Amino acid sequence: MLSWLEHRPFAIAIAESTWLFPITETVHVLALTVVIGAVAMMDLRLLGVGNKDRPVSEVIASALPWAWTAFTVAFIAGSMMFCSKAVSYAANVPFRIKMVCMVLAAINMLVFHFFTARGMATWDEGRPPLSARLAAVFSLTLWVVIVASGRWIGFV
Amino acid sequence: MQDFCDWLAATTLSQFFAGQDWFVPTVQTLHILSIAMVLITLGMLDFRLLHLTRRGPAPEVLAGRFIPWTWRALTVLLVTGALLIITEPTRELMNNAFRLKMVMVVVLILLTVTVQRASAREPGYWNASPGRRRLGGALGIASLVLCVGIVAAGRLIAYV
Repeated sequence: MLSWLEHRPFAIAIAESTWLFPITETVHVLALTVVIGAVAMMDLRLLGVGNKDRPVSEVIASALPWAWTAFTVAFIAGSMMFCSKAVSYAANVPFRIKMVCMVLAAINMLVFHFFTARGMATWDEGRPPLSARLAAVFSLTLWVVIVASGRWIGFV
Repeated sequence: MQDFCDWLAATTLSQFFAGQDWFVPTVQTLHILSIAMVLITLGMLDFRLLHLTRRGPAPEVLAGRFIPWTWRALTVLLVTGALLIITEPTRELMNNAFRLKMVMVVVLILLTVTVQRASAREPGYWNASPGRRRLGGALGIASLVLCVGIVAAGRLIAYV
């Protein structure tokens, strides 16, 4: 399956071209830094570190479109790079750690969205409850590990 | 410049950093996390200056709130960037993508100082006249282009 993916014409094109891989990687880095920045902005507001004078809902509403748009771009660029060397990426330990952390970050986000954020009206302008602050700590930790493991893919 | 690189690479500090396998990826990770902070603060501000986002605080309010965070992140970027140069001087200092990146960084800093100073002058500064709106839009576009250019040049250091 992974080998089949690697032998698709577009995957071969990325692997063989001099500039397609660096360009795709640059787009990936640009998009992922925007994702991290937007996520950090929401998390830091939940933790009371930044944007303290703005309601949580307003900070989330302004940062979420950036996070999702950039995530879509990073996901597409990342998938393109994965296809070009699918077999070796799948066997790469930092890559696996990165994927696990992305799944955990998604679960953390869903729990926050469907459970913790339900009572947001009561703490929108003030200090979020412990559950919300914990979600922010998990999120920040996971995204730092995602960046670090992503960077380590090329070093092992 | 090559002589300076050779001298730097021969220092105890450079040899020590280069000898640690974890050092470069760790410092690069911190560098990328700080870039994230710069991009989101300037990106949101630039979109507001360009009227691409219409809701939310006025540009000068965002500037007052975000640019101090930009400077904090930039401080981390300069420190981590310096550590990477000390570790691999020739890879960075002799590289044209790196040199282009540094020129763009200097221009972006000057541009951001300009936006910060103008924003502190009066409430409603960027919407006070059509001229000011155009100026804000031009600065916003220039800032976005520089941000993208800096990240691209930074990543391309490894390829040119």
